[in-house]
Amino acid sequence: VSAVAEGELGSSGTRSQQWAPALAALLALLLVAATAEIVLDGAVAHSALIPKSPDIAGWLRGIGERLGYRVFLIAILVFMGAYAGVLALARSISKRWAIILIGALHAIVFAGPILLSTDVFSYIAYSRMGIEHGINPYLHGPIAILHDPVYRYVGQDWKHVATAYGPLYTLLSYPLAPLGLKGAVWGMKVMALVASVGTLALTWRCARARELNPVAAILVLGANPLYVIYGLGGAHNDLIMLLLMMAAVSFTLAGKDAAAAASVVAGALVKATVAALLPFMILSRRRLAPILGGLAALGLGALAGYAAFGIHGVDVVAALNRDAAFVSTDSFPTEIAHLFGKPGVFPVDHDLLKAALVLIGLHLLWRTWRGYDWVAASGWTLLAISVTSTWLLAWYTLWPLPLAVITRDRRLLAATLAVQVLFIAHQTAPLFVPVQ
Amino acid sequence: MSRVRLIETTVLLLAGLLLAIATVNDLVRQAGVNHRLIADLRTWRTYTHHDYHTLSVEQDVYGHSTHEVVCGNTTPGAPKEREQICLVMTGPVSGGRRLVQNGWHLPPKAEDRRGYRYACFGSRTTQRPCAP
Repeated sequence: VSAVAEGELGSSGTRSQQWAPALAALLALLLVAATAEIVLDGAVAHSALIPKSPDIAGWLRGIGERLGYRVFLIAILVFMGAYAGVLALARSISKRWAIILIGALHAIVFAGPILLSTDVFSYIAYSRMGIEHGINPYLHGPIAILHDPVYRYVGQDWKHVATAYGPLYTLLSYPLAPLGLKGAVWGMKVMALVASVGTLALTWRCARARELNPVAAILVLGANPLYVIYGLGGAHNDLIMLLLMMAAVSFTLAGKDAAAAASVVAGALVKATVAALLPFMILSRRRLAPILGGLAALGLGALAGYAAFGIHGVDVVAALNRDAAFVSTDSFPTEIAHLFGKPGVFPVDHDLLKAALVLIGLHLLWRTWRGYDWVAASGWTLLAISVTSTWLLAWYTLWPLPLAVITRDRRLLAATLAVQVLFIAHQTAPLFVPVQ
Repeated sequence: MSRVRLIETTVLLLAGLLLAIATVNDLVRQAGVNHRLIADLRTWRTYTHHDYHTLSVEQDVYGHSTHEVVCGNTTPGAPKEREQICLVMTGPVSGGRRLVQNGWHLPPKAEDRRGYRYACFGSRTTQRPCAP
C-alpha cells in the first residue's frame, strides 16, 4: 500500500512540477497585463489618479480609456494576487525569466506617464529654483517660481513647502533643470529606473552572499505592486535612497565597513530616513572603521550642503520635524484614532508614537548587541517608522522590503508584505460604493 | 533567545491584529461616507430638478453626525458662478435619498458663510441665519 501511495505521491509531485512553470507564466502575464492596463489608461490623462503633467506619454494615447478608480483598484488587486502566486512559485522560475518579467514591468512603467503622485514635479521645481532662478530651495517653496512652467504641476499641498530632501539629492537633480520641463521629467524617470535596476542588482548580490535564493529575492522586490506602480511609476527619489542603502549592505558583506557607513550617510543625504541603519551597523561591526567612514562622509556632505545651500541645506532635523507633523488619511495612526472614535491624531498622539518608536529602536539595538542580524534590525526599524508615521504614503512601505528579502528572519518579510496588503485594502473603498 | 522571539512574535501578531481591525473599520467608515455622499447628490438633483454634477458638499467625514450641506448653481454655469441653492440633509439613506431639513440661497461666487445666506426655507427657518 505504501508503495502505491508513494507512487501516487511521486506522480502528483511530478505533475505539479510540470504545471508550476506554466502557472508561473500565466501569473507573470497577469502582472504584465495589470501594469499595462494602468499605464495605457493613465496615458489618456484627465484622471484623478494621474497628476497633471507635460505630455510625455501622448504616443500611448488612443489605446486605453480614462483611468478610473474602479479599473485602477481592480488592476492593483489582480497585480497583488498574481504577485502572491509568483512568489509562491518562485522556486520554479528561472533567473532568465525572472529578469525578463521584472524588465518588462519596468519598461512598461518607464514608457508611460507619471503615476499617482505629483512629487516628481516638486523635485523638478526645487532643481529649477536653484539653477534657473537662483533661489535656495531650502528657504522657499515652489510658490517662489510662480511663473515657471513647472509650477502648475506641483501638488497643491507642496506649493509653499521648502524641500525636505537631503542636499546630495538636490545637487543630483540640478543637472536636470536646464533640460526643460519634459527633459527634466524624463531625466527623473531615468534616475528612478537606474536606481531601481541598481537596487535589484545589489539585492541579488546580497542574497547570494547570504546564501538565500537570489531569484526569489529580486522577484519579491522587482515585481512588487507598490514598488512598480507607486515607486517606479511616480519616479520617487526613495529608489535612490534604497540604492545607497543596498550598496551599504553590499559593502559590509564585502568587509568594507567604512565604505558601508559612508554609503548610509550618502543615502541619508538623499532622504534622511535611511540614517536609521547606522547605529545597527556600528553596533554589529564593533569596529572603528564604520564610525570613521560615516563621519568622513557626513563631513564631506555637510560641507557640500553648506557651500551650496547655507546652513538650511544641512539642517535635516528641522525638515524631519516639520514633516513628522503632517497627517495623511492612509496612515495607521489615523485609522487607529478613527477606531477609537477620535476624528484624527492629536499632538499628544505624535508624542506617544515617537515614544513607541524609541522603545522599538532600543529593543532592536539590544537585540543587535546580543547578536541579532543588524540588517533585519534595520528593516524592522524602517517598518516601524512607516507604521508609526502619521504621514504614510505607499512608497514608504517599500523602505524595509530590500532588507527583508536578504534576511533569514522571515517574520520581517511577512510583516512588510502584510502592511502593504493593509495599505492597499484601505484604498479599496470606491470599489464598494463608487462615487458618481 | 527563543523566549524573546516568542514574545516578539506575540507582540507582532497583536499589533498586526490591531492594524487589520483599524483598517477594516476605516474601510467600512469610508464606504458609509461614500454611500451618504451619493444619496446627497441624488437628493439635491431631485429636489432642485437640475441634473448638475458639479456640486459642493460639506460633509461630516468622521461620522459624528449625518448632517450635510450640498450647494449648487440654480442656472447653468461654471461652479459657484451663478446664484446657488444649498440644502441641509440629515438622517439615514432611504430609497437612495435623504431628508432635506432646510436650505438657503447664496449669491454668485460666494462661499457658504452665514453672512451670505438669504431666502431661507424648510423646517428650521426660524433660526438665523438659516443654519441648523
